[in-house]
Amino acid sequence: MKKYFVVVGFAMALVFSAAASAREVTLNTQLTNYRGDGAYLAIYLTDSNGVYQGTLWIAGRDSEYYKHLRGWARGSRMRHAEYDGLTGASITSGRTLTMTLNLDDSFIDNGYEIHVDTAVEDRRDNRSDVVVPLTSDGAGKSVSGRGYVKSFTYNF
Amino acid sequence: MKNTSIVLGLSMLLLTGAANADDDCEGSAPGWQPRENLRQQLEADGWEVYRIKVDDGCYEVEGRNEYGSRVETSFAPSTFELMELEREDEDDDDDERDDDERRNYQADENRQQSMPSNGIVKGRPSVSVE
Repeated sequence: MKKYFVVVGFAMALVFSAAASAREVTLNTQLTNYRGDGAYLAIYLTDSNGVYQGTLWIAGRDSEYYKHLRGWARGSRMRHAEYDGLTGASITSGRTLTMTLNLDDSFIDNGYEIHVDTAVEDRRDNRSDVVVPLTSDGAGKSVSGRGYVKSFTYNF
Repeated sequence: MKNTSIVLGLSMLLLTGAANADDDCEGSAPGWQPRENLRQQLEADGWEVYRIKVDDGCYEVEGRNEYGSRVETSFAPSTFELMELEREDEDDDDDERDDDERRNYQADENRQQSMPSNGIVKGRPSVSVE
């Protein structure tokens, strides 16, 4: 019986510590009023050297176009496991994509960066349309993109 | 020699017919409405438009209709009259490329249901577009 409580206690401690190490992060990506088809977006994390760490979201369902999200494609090598369960519809001109996700605490204030790559059919691809460090100080501050992203913000 | 002329003549007739059949949509470019109007009209109807291109004098639209089916459709550029509708997931064509697209589409749909497995994101994010 004593052993049973020890095991249950240990399991609960593991669950609570896992929950405590994840932070809820909300990302807002507003697009400019460009002329053209729906934009494909790749939102992903790199370390401070720009080395790919993981995918947060891919907007756009046709994987044949993913190669145009150039920075992400290069880092992720477009492996299915990198974006399984993390894809949705492309985003049309002027609209805002809002997403909330649980991210490991260790990515915050540790030199990691959020990148947004964008691409539109028959128009220019933008590798790192947005690059922002993922820090407590940067939360809530709006950043302008250099391509189809008008503004990008994140909040904890 | 006479036979050759007859065969040539018949071939020309067939070619002319094929050319006419390809030219699905009528009207000249000045009478065309902007493709952006077509996009807005379709999106107002609940479509998700992937791309619009000009093909054989028609606006060819790739996307998902209001029921979520992936479709490839042709519209007359001047009137936006629906000229041709092809549902890609119901296409019986055995063409290898189409089969590949269908497999990719189904795999993609399955991925929509799955949970993230890259170890970075915990659980499926909640996403909205305004």
